[in-house]
Amino acid sequence: MADDDKWGVAHVHASFNNTVMTVTDLTGAETIAKSSGGTAVKQNRDEASPYAAMQMAESVAEEVKAAGITGLHVRVRGPGGNLQKSPGPGAQATIRALARSGIEIGRIEDVTPIPHDGSRAPKGKGGY
Amino acid sequence: MRVAVTGTPGTGKTTATGLLEDRLGGGSVPDLETVHLNDVLETEELYTEVDAERESKVADLEALSAWLEGRDDVVIESHLAHHFDADRVVVLRCHPEELEGRLRDRGEPEPKARENAESEALDVILAEAAEAHGLESVYEIDTTDREPAAVADALEAVLAGDRGPSAGDVDFVGYLG
Ligand SMILES: Nc1ncnc2c1ncn2[C@@H]1O[C@H](COP(=O)(O)OP(=O)(O)O)[C@@H](O)[C@H]1O
Ligand SMILES: [Mg+2]
Repeated sequence: MADDDKWGVAHVHASFNNTVMTVTDLTGAETIAKSSGGTAVKQNRDEASPYAAMQMAESVAEEVKAAGITGLHVRVRGPGGNLQKSPGPGAQATIRALARSGIEIGRIEDVTPIPHDGSRAPKGKGGY
Repeated sequence: MRVAVTGTPGTGKTTATGLLEDRLGGGSVPDLETVHLNDVLETEELYTEVDAERESKVADLEALSAWLEGRDDVVIESHLAHHFDADRVVVLRCHPEELEGRLRDRGEPEPKARENAESEALDVILAEAAEAHGLESVYEIDTTDREPAAVADALEAVLAGDRGPSAGDVDFVGYLG
C-alpha cells in the first residue's frame, strides 16, 4: 500500500460521560495512537462531553497523521452509536473532528454490545 | 408509585430486590408488589423471536407494556425495566471486571459474560434510562463493593424518598483497554 493511501481503524468507545479512542492498523494488531479520554465536566455534561471528545479526537488526529495515516474506518461502540438515528454526542464529535483534521473517513460501523440475559431488547429500541 | 430497577445482567437486581421485598410496606417504604419481568416474559411468552447467537429471547416490549398496564404500585425488576413507564428508575452498576466474575460464577458462558461486561463499561443501560426518562428520574447505585443488603438499603432510600437522582458517577471505560 502506498504511503499516500494508508488506512487505519479508529475504535471509538463512547460511554455516558467519557469518550476514548484507539487507532490501529487495518488488522487491529498494531496500535498507532491511543487517547486518554474526553471526560465530561460533571456539572455541565451536555456541553462538555462533545467538546472534550472533540479535543481528544484532535490530538489523536495529529498523532495519526504524523504516523502517515490518511484515512480511517470507524468502529463505534457506545450507547447512541447507532448512526442511523442519533449517535451519542461524544461519538459524533469525535468523527467530525477526525474529518475536519483532514483525515478521510471510510466505513462507519456500529458495534455497540447488547446487554442480554435470557432476553434482550429489540435492536434500535435502546431508547434512541 | 412505579419503580423500575434496571442494570446490566450481573449487577445484582434479582438479589437486591429479593431482599427489598421483605421491607416493602414497612416504615416509610411504600407497599409495592415486586415484578420480576424476565419471569413474566418467559411464562407469558412475551417475545417475538430468539436471538440464536446470544441464546436470548427478543422482548416484545409492546406486549410487556400492555401486561404492565394497570400495575401501578410495583417494583419492576429486569434489565429491560427502563423501557417502560416508571416514576423512578434505579440503575444498578458494577465494575465490568467484577461483573464478568459474578456472571462466570453464576455459570454463564464466556461470551455472555464478556458482552455484558462491555455493555456495562459503556454505560449502555444508564444512557438508555437517561434518554428515556430524563436525568431527574434516574438513580444510579454502584454495587461494586457493596454487600447485597447494602444495595437493598440504597434501593429502600430511593423508594422512601431519602435519596436524590444521580447518574454518571462511575466511569468504567478504562476496562475497554
Ligand atoms: N452486591 C453484590 N455483591 C457481590 N455479588 C453479588 C451482589 N449481588 C449479587 N451478587 C451475585 O452476582 C450474581 C448476579 O446477581 P443477580 O442478582 O442474579 O444479578 P441480576 O439479576 O442483575 O442479573 C449472583 O451470583 C449473585 O449471587
Ligand atoms: Mg436477574
